[in-house]
Amino acid sequence: MAGNDGEAGMTLVVKTVTRLTVGLIFLYGVYIVLNGHLSPGGGFAGGVIIALSFMNLFLAFGGKRAFEIIKKDAVTALESVGAVLFLGIALLGFADGGFFNNFLPQGRLFSLISGGAIPLSNIAICIKVGAGLFGVFLALVSFRGSEREGK
Amino acid sequence: MMNAWLPYVLCILLFSVGVYAVLGKKNLIRIILGIVIAEYAVNLFLILLCWKKGGEAPILQPGAVEQVMVDPLPQALVLTSIVIGLATTAFLVAIAMRLHERYGTYDITRIRELRG
Repeated sequence: MAGNDGEAGMTLVVKTVTRLTVGLIFLYGVYIVLNGHLSPGGGFAGGVIIALSFMNLFLAFGGKRAFEIIKKDAVTALESVGAVLFLGIALLGFADGGFFNNFLPQGRLFSLISGGAIPLSNIAICIKVGAGLFGVFLALVSFRGSEREGK
Repeated sequence: MMNAWLPYVLCILLFSVGVYAVLGKKNLIRIILGIVIAEYAVNLFLILLCWKKGGEAPILQPGAVEQVMVDPLPQALVLTSIVIGLATTAFLVAIAMRLHERYGTYDITRIRELRG
């Protein structure tokens, strides 16, 4: 893919299809995260899917417009928030007696709200992984642009 | 008896494809792809190791009783391995981009002199 195409965005077909599907991809990621303690998936897989939905937007509509909306610092901050959230959940386990102890009531098996702190951990991992992966993507994309300007 | 070994043989074949790409190709991107292929062959090998005859996926379903499940431990290991693979691949791609910035080519035979 040429650099100029990425700047201006792709063709109308790609943009329209992206507009239609990107919400569904994002919602699927959220579903995977929220059902992580019941079925395969969880924070990592869901976070990757959510990051991919953002990457899809980025590729279809071009880097220039996307960089105006999404700031790289915000992504970095969000990644740190995910890590701190996960650590906080782990530390809250001390309320129940130890590191990573499940301090919340565990609920009924196979119901959506169950598993105590596991869904919360999944959400924290999702934020961390989604922001991290998208940050890697942003770094790889913006790396070329900044180097070129420098030359 | 032969059929039981076939997946492992194919796995080694896939690994050999990856090693061939690393050693035989001159384009940096193809070398990275070879590393990724070899990595996935190893992942596949680990997943194959945990297979049990008649085993099902290790997922608890509501209302299910007493079923033979495959070993979930290698699957968890492979998940970690995939994550690390993702990170190393991103790192390799970043290095390749940096090299392309300096030398203007992905051909490893032309990346010779120290520059910049």
